[in-house]
Amino acid sequence: MRVRYIAAVCLVAALAVTVSAATAAPSRSTASSITVWLQTDAQNGWPDIVASVNSQFEKDHPGVKVNVQYQQWTQHLTKFDATLAGGNAPDVIEMGNSEMTKYMAAGAFQDITSSKSSFANSSNWLSGLQKAATYGGHLYGVPYYAGSRVVTYRTDLFKKAGISKPPTSLAQFTVDAKKLAAKNTAKGFSPVYIAGPDWYVAMGFVYDYGGQIAKTFKGKWVGTLNSPKAIAGLTAYKNFFNVASHASKTQDEAHPFPYTVYAQGLVGAMPGPTWVTCCNLLGKYTKASAQFVMPSHTAGKPMPGFLGGSDLAVPVGANKALAVDWIKDFTDTATEKALQAKGNIPNATNLLGDSVNERAAARSWFIPSSKNWVNVENGNILRSMLTQILTGKLTVKQAATFASQNITSVLNG
Amino acid sequence: MSSSQVPDRAAVAAEITPPWSRRRRRSPWQRAGNSSVPYLLVLPVLAAIGAVLAYPLYKLVVISFQKYGLFELIRRHGTWVGLDNYRSVLGDGVFWRTLERTVVFTIANVGLTMLLGTLIALLLVRVSSLVRVLLTVGLVLVWSMPVVVAVQVWYWMTNYQNGVLNYFLTEVHLGDYFQHDWYATNFSKLAMVTALIVWGAIPFVTITVYAGLAQVPSELVEAAEIDGAGPLRVFRDVTFPVLKPILLILTSLSIIWDFGVFAQPWLLVTASGWNASNYLMGVYVYIEGYAHSDFGRGAAISLLMLLIVALLSVFYVRQMVKTEEAG
Repeated sequence: MRVRYIAAVCLVAALAVTVSAATAAPSRSTASSITVWLQTDAQNGWPDIVASVNSQFEKDHPGVKVNVQYQQWTQHLTKFDATLAGGNAPDVIEMGNSEMTKYMAAGAFQDITSSKSSFANSSNWLSGLQKAATYGGHLYGVPYYAGSRVVTYRTDLFKKAGISKPPTSLAQFTVDAKKLAAKNTAKGFSPVYIAGPDWYVAMGFVYDYGGQIAKTFKGKWVGTLNSPKAIAGLTAYKNFFNVASHASKTQDEAHPFPYTVYAQGLVGAMPGPTWVTCCNLLGKYTKASAQFVMPSHTAGKPMPGFLGGSDLAVPVGANKALAVDWIKDFTDTATEKALQAKGNIPNATNLLGDSVNERAAARSWFIPSSKNWVNVENGNILRSMLTQILTGKLTVKQAATFASQNITSVLNG
Repeated sequence: MSSSQVPDRAAVAAEITPPWSRRRRRSPWQRAGNSSVPYLLVLPVLAAIGAVLAYPLYKLVVISFQKYGLFELIRRHGTWVGLDNYRSVLGDGVFWRTLERTVVFTIANVGLTMLLGTLIALLLVRVSSLVRVLLTVGLVLVWSMPVVVAVQVWYWMTNYQNGVLNYFLTEVHLGDYFQHDWYATNFSKLAMVTALIVWGAIPFVTITVYAGLAQVPSELVEAAEIDGAGPLRVFRDVTFPVLKPILLILTSLSIIWDFGVFAQPWLLVTASGWNASNYLMGVYVYIEGYAHSDFGRGAAISLLMLLIVALLSVFYVRQMVKTEEAG
């Protein structure tokens, strides 16, 4: 008898746990404070800029406190959803440019079209970031900064392998990779470290060969990775990976981070964001590191890189006036110049300089602007395809065709 | 029901009923007051359960009949769509393949947990007290390790680039495991998750079964041994019948935990390793509900999961109750 009761209690308790519940914690803003969600990039890379903007803002708005909460890319949307449901969303949120469409379509942000002219350099905003923040002709976000992708490399190892200058074509880079491999026989050494399923790198090859991920045709999305040009790009990626990288063919570029392997001295060069040299090499090889633009298969041109970037948006229910004022301070010319000095691309063309980052941005590609694109990323359609190609489980054509069909159905879903 | 419980109940009643109430005649008012006391005492618990369990469950049921995406989330009310969510989930091949995979996964996990847990418990009885203490401490440490920490350590150990497991296996000349990818295929991914879950679940099973073993009458074991029964026979005919109710509870709890498990697989395989060909139910419901922001569909899937687990549990509880009554 007793066992029966215990069993019943245990079962009820355990069943309750299987029904998941979301949690939300952030504070509700009042007129005397605003809550700002920035990514940890700002926390690690430019906390000083954030602090000085906040003190300026608080001076201009006596009695208003700025409460900055740092978020991680992988989790911030789940948290944001929870705050939207709870009616306590932040006043300003940093959104990746690839994340904007879905939320604009759902009406998560306030329309700030009428304030556009009051933001500094707004007539020269980078078109990629401005497009990502525009929906149905209305503006829902302010460009914050962009980042292109470059190749970080070990100058000492290049010199030792007899490579006098950075490669200017993919063919040259392949030859250099072989030279690096011949001089560095340590087990697990990658002349050019690329995590197999790193689709940001792989899609650069696709766009370099004239392919693309998807296009619209008669108002519908069509996956185009199985087009001859895209297949040529994917094949080039496979060939380059096989020569240059000893990274896992299944683990993504966060497991481990390429710069961790680089700091262990097992990498000759690695494509990735610009800021790795400033912040992530654990103090190793920072002097012996330099960067160049990833070369195209067409000699002399850069390979198109993923143009990542962030927009600042004002969620529904936020204090719009204060939020817009804070964004104005955070994207003014002085702040953008300071961000540029940290290795980022500023938000407007009239501020652009001639750094390796900015030269790399000359040719770039961007994800299809469908509100369902996030589901392609969540479903790991591209990563799975790359793993299938690299492990030889499927041919390039089979894997690309399968992925393309999936993309078509997800984007139109 | 055994007859031995009747005097028990009378004794309990005698204890909780104040002596005066048995002597005096009670007014109907008093009688009503007395009989409602237990209910009043239970009330706070019911209120708490209602707040943290019943209301969310009710919300979940409501949302499962609605179109409830990001658009509806922001406006905080969904559109009624009847059975559409259930229809779309049940008509989705991914759901059925995920269910199949999860059932196999659960059987493997629960089977291994119960087998290894029971074997270690039997071992505990036989070893010297020093070894028993060491073993118990080890088990408790495993049990007290937070899941997230365990996953992280496990992941480091099995890491492709720098994992100590690959290093160790290569050093002891079990083959060249340099840069061996333990997460290369769907099977190996789920096998790693299984290893982690079983490792984490063994202590609970072992310690509970060990406690149960203390109830096995040693004179019965002795008698069986004198009659010439081998260790297997003793286990089957003497130990097992005593342990049976405990093993049934442990099995049904393990099924509930492993069927809906989320933290270990999600963190170990990492978000980028999941795709439609290797989902488990816990991961599937997260992807459909949260990642795709389709909360209506997510709610429908979690209710279907609840139903499946409840059905499985009913079977075990019935078994358990039968055993109790037979005993």
